[in-house]
Amino acid sequence: MTATEHRAPGHEYPEHFEPPRGPLWRILFGPGLVRGAWMGALFFALGTLLVLALRWWWGWGPVWDTEIVLAVAGMVTLPIGFLTGIGAFDYWLHYISGRPTRPEDHSGHGATSWKDYFRVNTDHKVIGIQYLVTTFVFFTIGGLFAMFFRAELAQPGLQFVDSQTFNGLVSAHATLMIFLFIIPAFAGIANYVVPLMLGAPDMAFPRLNALSFWLLPIAGLMFLASFLAPGGSFASGWTAYAPLSEGQPMGQTFFNMGVQWAGASSIMTALNFLVTIITMRAPGMTFWRMPLLVWANFTTSLLVVIATPFIAGSQFFVMFDRIMHTSFFVPEGGGYVLGYQHIFWFYSHPAVYIMMLPGFGIVSEVISTMARKPIFGYRLMALSLVGILVLGFSVWAHHMFVAGMADWLRVPMMITTLLIAVPTGIKVFSWTATLWRGRIHLTTPMLFALGFVTMFVIGGLSGIYLGSVPIDIHASDTYFIVAHIHYVLFGGSVFTIFAGVYYWFPKMTGRMYDERLGKLHFWLTFVSFNATFFPMHYVGLRGMPRRVFDYDAAFGDLNLVISIASFVLGASFVLFVYNVVTSWVRGPLADGNPWRAHSLEWQVTSPPPIFNFDEIPQVVGGPYEYGVPGARHAVMSTVEEKEPVHA
Amino acid sequence: MRKGIVQLVAIGVVIGVALTLVAVLFQWLPTSASEEFDRIQAIYWLATWISVGIFSLVTAVIVFSVWKWRVSDDDDVDGPPIHGHTGLEILWTAVPAVLVVVIGVVSAVVLARNGQAGPRPLEVTTIGQQFAWRFEYPADEVRSGELVLPVGVKTRFTMQAVDVIHSFWVPEFGQKMDAVPGIRTTIVVTPKRTGEFRVVCTELCGLGHATMRARARVVTEQEFEAWLEERSA
Repeated sequence: MTATEHRAPGHEYPEHFEPPRGPLWRILFGPGLVRGAWMGALFFALGTLLVLALRWWWGWGPVWDTEIVLAVAGMVTLPIGFLTGIGAFDYWLHYISGRPTRPEDHSGHGATSWKDYFRVNTDHKVIGIQYLVTTFVFFTIGGLFAMFFRAELAQPGLQFVDSQTFNGLVSAHATLMIFLFIIPAFAGIANYVVPLMLGAPDMAFPRLNALSFWLLPIAGLMFLASFLAPGGSFASGWTAYAPLSEGQPMGQTFFNMGVQWAGASSIMTALNFLVTIITMRAPGMTFWRMPLLVWANFTTSLLVVIATPFIAGSQFFVMFDRIMHTSFFVPEGGGYVLGYQHIFWFYSHPAVYIMMLPGFGIVSEVISTMARKPIFGYRLMALSLVGILVLGFSVWAHHMFVAGMADWLRVPMMITTLLIAVPTGIKVFSWTATLWRGRIHLTTPMLFALGFVTMFVIGGLSGIYLGSVPIDIHASDTYFIVAHIHYVLFGGSVFTIFAGVYYWFPKMTGRMYDERLGKLHFWLTFVSFNATFFPMHYVGLRGMPRRVFDYDAAFGDLNLVISIASFVLGASFVLFVYNVVTSWVRGPLADGNPWRAHSLEWQVTSPPPIFNFDEIPQVVGGPYEYGVPGARHAVMSTVEEKEPVHA
Repeated sequence: MRKGIVQLVAIGVVIGVALTLVAVLFQWLPTSASEEFDRIQAIYWLATWISVGIFSLVTAVIVFSVWKWRVSDDDDVDGPPIHGHTGLEILWTAVPAVLVVVIGVVSAVVLARNGQAGPRPLEVTTIGQQFAWRFEYPADEVRSGELVLPVGVKTRFTMQAVDVIHSFWVPEFGQKMDAVPGIRTTIVVTPKRTGEFRVVCTELCGLGHATMRARARVVTEQEFEAWLEERSA
């Protein structure tokens, strides 16, 4: 049985449907964006009716309450209607209702035209690209928000926007970058690469995979739609501390619910990765032969499934306080204000590692391949990921050193926080040792990987300052924090995302990007990034708090410099988009393994066949055996070769 | 290889000296106005020297390696198959562990000392409300929108918030604490020089957060007594 036999004849209709009744019928009632639109509208109407009927039945006045109608009909039933319409549930609904299903139906698998990227597709390679394109769209929007408020911050005082809009832009910038860019962009890269690296034909649950992707634009549009809500968008920061968030205008509810959709997406993807990594490794692929990117996504997924329910809970509690008048965080009602922060950070600190570990994986792949050397200390590199995973759950309260929490909690949390420097240090030192005596190819992904290591060291070292409680007491909630998180999440995560996109670009598109433009992109980004964020350490320590539209005139000049640098940083991204788009359309064709890498995704064509491997890989060694004479990571057994083994 | 090591060390020294100049030539912290901040600044410098060392080491190895072992694009030879070195791995696990434990212990000691209010501190109740600060001196039944403190006297602030979370910070004191609805939080400041400072709210508290400021004055004890008398009269 070869994979090509699975290929469906076309992409029109799965056979288990009623015979098509003409093109119009198919467009209206077949799975797709049109059915998604009208079913979304229908479900919105049903949700609205449900709310009105229940409120009228119980005699709650006024019967019409815009916030509740939006929360239920706009943010719960409408998305469910949309998902049903585009066909995310079709297979399951057929199964539930007893209609015939075909387990071997692969009509929704793979892409032959660009239109296939706009439908529910079960191919992990299509989903990976759907993820990446979507997240880069939101990265652009989040970046534009940053440009707006940097323009506002170029001078002290208010110039362009009012303070609610300013707070809204700051909040939406962080929210989009975290929930709609960094976390899902890593999920996108991993979606594409992990099954290939494991030697698997797809993820363990392809239909769940498709659903996880489609939850994402819903969350993103919800965050953006909040700008249209009466009173403006959510404006209490991405941290949305209660009780400030409880007294905010309606936009806050969009945040509460948007986080649920993004969180559900994350959890489903993480479960899928866990099951895939545990059960779908190729023959011979033991845990100690897995590439570090797979290790990184394994540990990240554990973090996601354990931690993400906590932020979901925290946002539900806030929303219940807001619209159901409970008092989880209302002190007058017996609520506990600091409870919000504990629950929130119990997710959001591990979330920092959710946003970092996959990047560690990417960088390990890039550095080893481009330095033509085995990764230094492979086992310790994998174990340090596990160390970060475990320690990562015991440090959340370091975000609360000045929050007024129990005093005795500060020193233990400080010690665990500082100890995270140990596994992180192991990784940094091992990457640098991998370079030692290598044969270094300074390609664009390698530049971003090395840029990442240096920038991440700065972010890690400023983390040591913040880990020390007394220094944190001074530096907390200032621009020093803003500098720190951008060194970790931009100099760290975003650089690794760029490294990953450039590295796997030939694999994903079958074409090569423009190396000269790529290098120019790196240097522009690297310089303007430092010019933007390094001075923030200074203004922060000197006394400028974060999240302010107005500040002491003494910081005016430096803020002007920061703003100008940030515009250059924004402009450097245009180069990336230009490079990616033009190379995707008409770049030179790439062969299967342009980097001469050993891991499995490079042993197939670019882009890979529809079910990844026409031959079954047999893994016989580690993934980074560069320079070892005769070493192979895997041998591809063709069908003929395989027969005797199975006979 | 000996020549290589010399070059590596030279690169490291250049980076280290450059960083040291950046650390020393700019005044990164406000001039301290409290005894607590003096102690914080001591840890700050400890962390800074450790950071300069580690950053110089890592970047020197990266710069040196790229400079020394960069090959052209069409080179297709692999590097030597070095899989690891147990001694090195133990070393770079142990040394950072020791360094962070040192920082941790010093920090814990400073934290404990900075929290000590002494036998009879001056009590100031600090109330945060959108978007202004209020200071009450319960012993003298004085209320004020301006914070006035006597120099050299340990002062214990007890924070309260009326509506949402605010955070009290005077950059020159180096001390900060959230004012949280429903609970009381405390912080100790011992001003060590007279002068005028600003109380800054550092926790996003709504529309007027950026403008939630108050004046803080540190005066001599006589001036403080006179001010109290004038306010309570």
